[in-house]
Amino acid sequence: MDAIETAPKAHFREYWDRRRILAPVMISPALLYIVALVGFPFVLAILYSLSDATTGNPSIHFVGLRNFATILHDPVFIRSLENTFLFTFVSQALVVVLSSILALALSEDFRGKQVVRFLILLPWTAPISLGAIGWLWIFDSVFSPMDWLLRAAGLLGVPHGFFGADSNLYWLGRPILAMASVIVVQTWRILPLATVILLAGISAIPNEILDAAAVDGASFWRRLFQIEIPLLLPVISIAVLFGVVFTFTDMTVVYVLTRGGPINSTQVLASWAFFVGIEAGDLGQGAAVALFLFPVLAGGTALVLRFARRREVA
Amino acid sequence: MGKNIKKGISRRDFIKTAGAGVGVLAAGMGPTIFIPRQARAAKKELKILQWAHFVPSYDSSFFDPFAKQWGEANGVQVTVDHIGLAEIGARTAAEISAGEGHDLIEWVAPPSQLEPSVLDLTDVNQEAQKRFGKQIGLCTNSSYNPVTRKYYGFCHGWTIDPGDYRKSLWTKVGKPDGPENWEDLITYGSRIKKELGVQLGIGMSQEIDSNMAARALMWSYDTSVQDKNENVVINNPRTVEAVEYMSRLYKSAMTPEIFSWSAVSNNQALIAGRASYILNSISAYRSAQEQVPEIAKDVFFVPALKGPKGTRWSSEHVIFIYVIPKYSKNADTAKEFILALLENYDKAMYYSKLYNSPAFFDTRIPAGARGYPRVMGASTLMDLNNAWFDDDPFRLEGEAKGKLSVLKTGSQWCTNVGHPGPASPAIGEVFSTFILPNMIASAAQGMKASQAVLQADKQIQTTFKAWRKRGLVGGKM
Repeated sequence: MDAIETAPKAHFREYWDRRRILAPVMISPALLYIVALVGFPFVLAILYSLSDATTGNPSIHFVGLRNFATILHDPVFIRSLENTFLFTFVSQALVVVLSSILALALSEDFRGKQVVRFLILLPWTAPISLGAIGWLWIFDSVFSPMDWLLRAAGLLGVPHGFFGADSNLYWLGRPILAMASVIVVQTWRILPLATVILLAGISAIPNEILDAAAVDGASFWRRLFQIEIPLLLPVISIAVLFGVVFTFTDMTVVYVLTRGGPINSTQVLASWAFFVGIEAGDLGQGAAVALFLFPVLAGGTALVLRFARRREVA
Repeated sequence: MGKNIKKGISRRDFIKTAGAGVGVLAAGMGPTIFIPRQARAAKKELKILQWAHFVPSYDSSFFDPFAKQWGEANGVQVTVDHIGLAEIGARTAAEISAGEGHDLIEWVAPPSQLEPSVLDLTDVNQEAQKRFGKQIGLCTNSSYNPVTRKYYGFCHGWTIDPGDYRKSLWTKVGKPDGPENWEDLITYGSRIKKELGVQLGIGMSQEIDSNMAARALMWSYDTSVQDKNENVVINNPRTVEAVEYMSRLYKSAMTPEIFSWSAVSNNQALIAGRASYILNSISAYRSAQEQVPEIAKDVFFVPALKGPKGTRWSSEHVIFIYVIPKYSKNADTAKEFILALLENYDKAMYYSKLYNSPAFFDTRIPAGARGYPRVMGASTLMDLNNAWFDDDPFRLEGEAKGKLSVLKTGSQWCTNVGHPGPASPAIGEVFSTFILPNMIASAAQGMKASQAVLQADKQIQTTFKAWRKRGLVGGKM
């Protein structure tokens, strides 16, 4: 009886142990997820970008590359393209520098380390819209606490004040300050993820190498630039990749803080695609704006992943 | 035995037996089982999507209870979903794309781009005019496309956009009744800023109120984006003059904060006592009544400001338009609901605290208790409009009577986005991409006015061309 009952079980187990069966079964949920939530909308976006679709008439009538040709003559699109690069590269440069410092600091032992780690992770775990609304208050034209501090320090709102005689800096009302503001918030947002990635990378550096460097009397800077950073490069490149992709494709910070203003000075491709495609109803053109950088991002991603893999192998 | 027990009744046998039993039972009890099901299926449904009203009592004390009661009285299962103003466009697009969703969707801007996917509401518009009299022009222009000759929406109400000013400040500079024309803003507004330290608050930002202000300025300067036949006419000397005026106004009476404003910023500035004049509906004043009564008592109103030739126009602040998507299976029920809403628009006006003005002023007030103190001698919505603006039922104790009187004539100096032509998807895109506030802001930040106008003209021409190709906008190609 036992033998009769256990035989199918054993057969079942053996069946599932087969790699060519188990592997597709295990990967299929992820594959399904990607196809349904990424692949399908992506293909739809490509179709829209080649069509005359609107929010009121989403049927596909192909117009070739007309939408792409039109946006290339749109000064706001060009401005958004420039802003996207500026916004992404400056914020990610800051993220790389700050996350490296933070990760190195957090890899050391000190009192309250857990609390500091928690606080650093907080911006990543909290909803971005909530955080951005907090920043909206910090950069408020009238009630900004930063302006209040500067006024209290005598640097603002007084004749010949370092930051001018106006009572406020108008962070989101002046093009350069507005761009600086959205960059700061994006840096704040991406920093925790990059820090955690780098922290994992640091903890993976073999202790023997660091001990050997210490025995040889290597200084902090020498250890940093000749041992730690070279070993961390693949991990840093992955952190940068995540940050760049997130920043290139996200509109939340810009939308909540400035809606792309003043005068489109903080408009980025993602927010402009939303305004044109959804708010104005021109789905085709909105999709063209959104997809414009896809080839660049895809190529860049492939290069970074290849670089990271090569460094790992080396 | 054990085998028998184990075997017992197989799942297949169980299903067979149970199925047969249920079949016999169902045949015997047929009427008992199926009649209620048929009745349930016959009960009509109506799903409504609309914004969470700026004045919460509109939703809580009027609309939601009204929809429920109407549903109960007419055997309709009514569901009302409220969403934020900013989400309406995306949500509608998603529902249309999916081919299912709400039967009745309320927009607070002309939904002209939805025309291919929504029902032509000519029948219900005609029926409404038969029952309630003529619809005011700005409502028709915001829901009817003269090119396709279709009503893509049904406009039931709108909001007046007057000027709100602080009387104490304007009195101190010798203009106690507030500004009458745009030039007064420079003459007196700059003095208020200089002498009293309070700036003017007209936005030049990428948001809705700045859009309204830019249009009010241009119309009062006898210029516009399009003419009445939907030809783009913005690039002309009067637009340049209007843009130059705004640069002067910014330099003399405002601060860079207006470039960063969101839709609520001018309300906040007024309530915080940091604006001598703003262009906004009475919602800013209503908020002040609740939050800072002292400021509210000092807020007074003026109609649209006059331009150099005496023309005065202001934009409707919000316009309430229902659409019925083509996928709706309850279109007739939705139309019945719209007509019932119109019959009760006196309540809509009252519970919105006079934020909603009616599209049909000649509608007769139903008899009986209406849930608000009866207004003696009032028989139509126009009577209520005049009586309530003369003696605001929501006036604070000790507050001056008649301060809203200037709003009585709102329908004479408020107009639709797209004036002197109709609203259209092209006008909507110009609105949604903030071309006009950016044109004005560019000049205020140093660009030559003529250059800013030329730049805006190029963008607008491209936009109109694209929508003309789709057959939804008139004018010359």
